[in-house]
Amino acid sequence: MLSGRTPLGWLQLTHSTSRFVVASAGVGFAVMLVFMQLGFMNMLFDATVTIHKKFFADLVVMSGSAKGIVPDSGSFSRRRLVQAAGVDGVAGFAEVYIGTLSWTKPSDGTVGQIVVFGVPTDQRVFNDPDLDAKMPSLRVLNSFLVDEGSRGDFTTFFGKIKAGDQPTVKLGGQTATAVGTFKFGASFGTEAIAIVSTETFLHLVPTRPAGVINMGLITVSPGVDAQGLADTITAVMGPTEVKVWTMSGFIGLTRDILRVESPIAIVFSFGVIVGLFVGAVIVVQILSSDVQDHLSEYATFKAIGFSNRFLLGIVLEQSAILTLAGYFPALLISLGLYRVVGAAVSMSMSMTFDRIALVFGLTAVMCAVAGSIAMRRIYSADPAEVF
Amino acid sequence: MPDLLPVPAIVLTHLEHWYGEDSLKRPVLRDLNLTVEAGKTTFLMGPSGCGKTTLLTLIGALRSVMAGSVVVLGQELKGASEAVMVQSRRRAGFVFQHHNLHRSLTVLQNVRMGLEVRGESGRADTRERCMEVLEAVGLAEHADKRQDQISGGQKQRAAVARALVGRPELLLADEPTAALDSKTGRDVMELMQRLAAERRMTVLMVTHDNRILDIADRIVEMEDGRILPSGQAHSGPNRISEKA
Repeated sequence: MLSGRTPLGWLQLTHSTSRFVVASAGVGFAVMLVFMQLGFMNMLFDATVTIHKKFFADLVVMSGSAKGIVPDSGSFSRRRLVQAAGVDGVAGFAEVYIGTLSWTKPSDGTVGQIVVFGVPTDQRVFNDPDLDAKMPSLRVLNSFLVDEGSRGDFTTFFGKIKAGDQPTVKLGGQTATAVGTFKFGASFGTEAIAIVSTETFLHLVPTRPAGVINMGLITVSPGVDAQGLADTITAVMGPTEVKVWTMSGFIGLTRDILRVESPIAIVFSFGVIVGLFVGAVIVVQILSSDVQDHLSEYATFKAIGFSNRFLLGIVLEQSAILTLAGYFPALLISLGLYRVVGAAVSMSMSMTFDRIALVFGLTAVMCAVAGSIAMRRIYSADPAEVF
Repeated sequence: MPDLLPVPAIVLTHLEHWYGEDSLKRPVLRDLNLTVEAGKTTFLMGPSGCGKTTLLTLIGALRSVMAGSVVVLGQELKGASEAVMVQSRRRAGFVFQHHNLHRSLTVLQNVRMGLEVRGESGRADTRERCMEVLEAVGLAEHADKRQDQISGGQKQRAAVARALVGRPELLLADEPTAALDSKTGRDVMELMQRLAAERRMTVLMVTHDNRILDIADRIVEMEDGRILPSGQAHSGPNRISEKA
């Protein structure tokens, strides 16, 4: 006990176990709400940049208006990439075509959308060595690899592929052969992803002229600073329709654009605010009714010489206890829910230390604000009333 | 020589108090003058509504003085700041009509609050001091019970212990026996009187209870917001038979 102080907040809260549990559950509910909203929002961000990390590249060249590695990221001439690759310090480069095609889903035979990446088969394009090893199989025209994370029940289809069969589907109006699978994981925007060779891509998308690409990948020679090289390339190329980023810089850009522009991010931010507001209302209700309940006791304390500040201390102590008692169980439950939800939508929902700290801070502020609102009733505890 | 005169604990001069404003203004105390001697037990009596409790709350610094002067233990309370009011409350012990014990605390913890308010609860002898007072009021074996586990008389004795543990110079009480049966009430009163005498405390008590008047050193009667002249007031137990 600090300098002989009676822990009144604690004693009052724990006096009725059931009320204490309900109060903590109220705070915990708000905490969970906020964790889930933040989790969903970041799952969106993470899922969107998951694909960035799949490509084997230090620098990425894209249209200046690109907002991510998506089909509508804008196209540019392959000559730009070749020009960029001519700068000293570039170890290698590869061009990537991106398009959206309709396909007959092998799950139920309905027509769906599939994002198709057209890549060279004689260069390293992907980080994943397993996937890289499968690239030569794409040299047969109209063969493709399909993402196992594609949304839908493709168990039979994938089973056939793994068994060595080469099932065919309608892809962009032509018959294409599935020769293998890879794992990218679904995102909010894409249902399914396929990888084909440059030749197959141009064959499947006859409207696309050869040499009009969507993305250039550049690897940097050992010992060369990627950011420095990106700046040099930008300077060499002069004003143009393309931009050069480091891959990590482009990941950051994609996240930032999502955060600011995507309606989904706004929806989830609003969810966080609503969660906090609901939590604050619950805590205000709990603390107010607690203060109301103890008003005569507070009046007595005032009458025997305790200051308002002492009484405010009791309420703040209760706020702090509710913060702790509500937060930690909610954190555990949220971690569990992250796993469940992540598994259900085949996306990773990960908890970061920053988020744990942020939500704890928000909870503490919320409880303190609620406490100060409840405190106003304390001033109305008239010491003369006890006589 | 003024030094040899008994020091008054409470001096009230031209004290006025009212409730409501303007046309609704209802005077409660009118030009009230009273001096309470230190170290004595004074009873304040009078019909209900005569302003006794208002007077007690003014002396106890629980209400702001509107007009006139209230000097308690040398401190003028007219126009006093909140800090002075709080300080004054700490110098007096209060026993209320109802025990007003905190229901989340044990008897011992409640008594301890009487020390905590004076910033004396961090000392090594805190428990000892509390137990000593609880011993004196006969509650030592109930120290760890909550207020809903003890009887009405025990609660009021616990309240007395809370008021006395800080060794205040002044004890203010408002009908502390009103909620008790006569035997228990008498016990509590005698206990308070004995402890107050031992500690040479000034006691000012509002009471209706005619059975305990013999305990007082002085009885002051109030009527209609004024103190009746001492000639009209009867002191001592002989008054009981008249009223009874």
